[in-house]
Amino acid sequence: MISTPQQIIVRCLLLAISWSAWASPPSWGQIPAANATVLPDDYSCSLCHRKGGALWTELTPVAEEKDLVDDVHWQKGLRCHDCHGGGATLDTFKNHRDDPDFRSLRARANVPAFCGHCHSNIDYMRRYNPSARTDQESEYWTSGHGRRLKASSGGDNSQVDQAVATCIDCHGGHGILATSNAKSRVYPMHVAQTCGHCHSDPKRMAGRMYNERPLGHDQFDQWREGVHGRALIEKGDLSAATCNDCHGNHGAMPPGVDSVANACGTCHGKVSKLFAETRMKHKFEQVGLPGCATCHGTHRTVQPTDEMLGMGESAVCARCHNRQNPQYGATVAGAEAARTMRERLEQLKNEIAAAEKKVAAAERLGMEVRGPRFDLRQAIDAVTNARTLVHSFKPGPMDKSLNEGFQVTSEVIRLADAALAEHAYRRVWLAASLVPILVVVCVLLLYIRALPAAPTDE
Amino acid sequence: MSRSSRIRIFLQERLGLDVLRGLAGKKKVPVHSCTHFYYLGGMALFLFLVQIVTGILLCLYYKPSPDQAFESVRAIMSEVDFGWLIRSAHSWSANLLIGVLLLHLLTTYMMRAYRRPREMTWVTGILLLGLFLAFGFSGYLLPWNQLAFFATRVGTAMVGVMPVIGDDLLLLARGGENVTGDTLARFYALHVVVFPMLTFALLGLHLFLVQRHGMSVPDRNEGTSGVTQSPSMPFVPHFLLRDMVGWYLALGLLAALAALFPWELGEKAEPFASAPEGIKPEWYFLFMFQTLKLLPARIGLFEGEALGVLFFGLGGLVLLLVPFLDRGRISRAALNLLATLAVTFFIVMTAWGWFSAKEEATLRVILGAVLVVLVLPLLLPFTKPKTGPRQALYWSWSLAMFVLLVSTWWELLG
Repeated sequence: MISTPQQIIVRCLLLAISWSAWASPPSWGQIPAANATVLPDDYSCSLCHRKGGALWTELTPVAEEKDLVDDVHWQKGLRCHDCHGGGATLDTFKNHRDDPDFRSLRARANVPAFCGHCHSNIDYMRRYNPSARTDQESEYWTSGHGRRLKASSGGDNSQVDQAVATCIDCHGGHGILATSNAKSRVYPMHVAQTCGHCHSDPKRMAGRMYNERPLGHDQFDQWREGVHGRALIEKGDLSAATCNDCHGNHGAMPPGVDSVANACGTCHGKVSKLFAETRMKHKFEQVGLPGCATCHGTHRTVQPTDEMLGMGESAVCARCHNRQNPQYGATVAGAEAARTMRERLEQLKNEIAAAEKKVAAAERLGMEVRGPRFDLRQAIDAVTNARTLVHSFKPGPMDKSLNEGFQVTSEVIRLADAALAEHAYRRVWLAASLVPILVVVCVLLLYIRALPAAPTDE
Repeated sequence: MSRSSRIRIFLQERLGLDVLRGLAGKKKVPVHSCTHFYYLGGMALFLFLVQIVTGILLCLYYKPSPDQAFESVRAIMSEVDFGWLIRSAHSWSANLLIGVLLLHLLTTYMMRAYRRPREMTWVTGILLLGLFLAFGFSGYLLPWNQLAFFATRVGTAMVGVMPVIGDDLLLLARGGENVTGDTLARFYALHVVVFPMLTFALLGLHLFLVQRHGMSVPDRNEGTSGVTQSPSMPFVPHFLLRDMVGWYLALGLLAALAALFPWELGEKAEPFASAPEGIKPEWYFLFMFQTLKLLPARIGLFEGEALGVLFFGLGGLVLLLVPFLDRGRISRAALNLLATLAVTFFIVMTAWGWFSAKEEATLRVILGAVLVVLVLPLLLPFTKPKTGPRQALYWSWSLAMFVLLVSTWWELLG
């Protein structure tokens, strides 16, 4: 094999730097220990890409080991050449331009394929994780990001939209953390900030359209104020929905008008199922209303309240089922149904409050009403269930649940009343028992007075 | 011959009831300024009988296992007819019994009723008091509620701090390293079998000795020859009827307390939960609990708690041996001083333990003043009218009353 002059120089320098390194066997070509963080001195990449390396210049991109040690790839034993290709030893090293194995990352459009080199290869990925996914790259190309990247490049990397997110924009370049790592940019707590990094940037989002509508840049702020954002940020509830739960991960796309309910249904399954069986769903699709989001909002999904139901000022039903100005063909019968459902719901809530008041009164008097208090939870559950059944938009199913609640509250009220009556009965019983006791005491005292004086024997 | 006469003769021939009648006829009760203190013994006996009856009724439904104990007591309170009354009466009469026994102890000491030849009557009485305290401690755990569980854990841990034998005693008391179902079974067995048997034996001996030596009279009513100088009244019917008045009043009080303030059940014990706030033992253990809480972790070379437990053990021993320590004027004066300190200590620590939070300082003073106002009149029979001690007593009582009124006023305003 004929060496290039550059290779000869590098080899000589290497010998001068650390001749002892040659005495030990090379570390590459096998999976190193997971915690081995120090690259061998003769590692070819270090010569140029480490600050102070023998061939490093101010213009050379730098990758320091300290920035890589937490990287999930690094921890699995992968090193520079495993991702970037090329020869790691001076024997195999070729100039990047001349090396067909070297994988360039100079163009943004190459990033998905760069990562996909391994992540789309199930034979390779299986070595590290037998159940690893390998569809991220193909998913990416179906996403809004991927489509835009493909469309903008048109085969010419110089034309690529530099603002479109690729793998490294979400996961990072060097120092990529496992998704399960709480510090990872794509850990549930940080997903929204990661997406918001681009999507909250007015300059970056300026002029960008989706379905002929401006993409906007306030989604993150809206989400943060909504019920999901607050649950995740303020309560640390990792099950709360964040961007990728509705839009997808690698195949991120806004859900279509007809699929909003399905997106919400991934978490709110029962509600979604109820909604799917209603005429309202078809009507929404017909007129182009985005399912759940029509009443609950999109990114700023507010905490649902009972006031949203019915025909009151805050009721969302009244927006369409308005007698004076019905929207989208909303019917009067629908308005009546909404009003009835709200009234029945309020009735049960009032009944629960009344039962709670009586149980508390009995408790204060020291009566044993633990059972009725426990049963009352069933009525509260019935209210919760009824709130879900609102999404059938028919009073019937909701009534069934409410009736169960009414049965429970009437039984609890009966038991609480019985406890209060028992307490009153005890007082009467006490008064009644004290009378004979006092009578006996009086009789005894009178009898004692009537006794002959105690004889004094001393 | 009438039927009742025939029954009397039948019983007389077989049981010899005339002996009892003779004894009852002969028994006299001295009449003097402290005679009403004698009723405390009878009242304690009456309350003990209430304990036996209500305890047997509770046993019919109570299930001594960690899984079922709490639920069974709940069922007694809510499902069994008059179960609430039986349980409340059992709990209230247990507390009243301890209160009456403490007063009985105090008045007996003040009358110096332990004098020769009644030393063993005193000793059996102190042992009975110890037994009733043990009844209270073991019974407290039986409902298996949160408060009782953790109070028992703390209470039994005190045994563990004793030097040398502490660990073994702790294992013996708990039936294991922790308070578990084994502890519950053990406490139940002690509460319904072992302690009642011991109580019957000691109570029998105590009553026999009272009968054997007759009622003691205070020093001043006893002549120099040791012969009682007081007038007396027959036990039957004069004293017995007066005693019955006390029993009826206690019954009325018990009924009122049980009906107006049913004994709480609390929450079911959760052994793995953290200890709830404000755990405290029954009121009669509060003075020990509060003292141990206040002691520093180490006093010199010794552990604070261990010294505290030893101190109370020593106190109990001194109490038991009072008849043998009272050997003359000086030792009597020392004992009286110790008794005054002990009562003061009990009142202060109980009030402090009951209202242990910082913001409850006024309530603490109120409770302490109430107890002083109640205890001081017990000294009245031991002072002569228009003498210095009687005046001092009046002034002390007035001062306690003044403190009580001012602190109550302060609390109501605050």
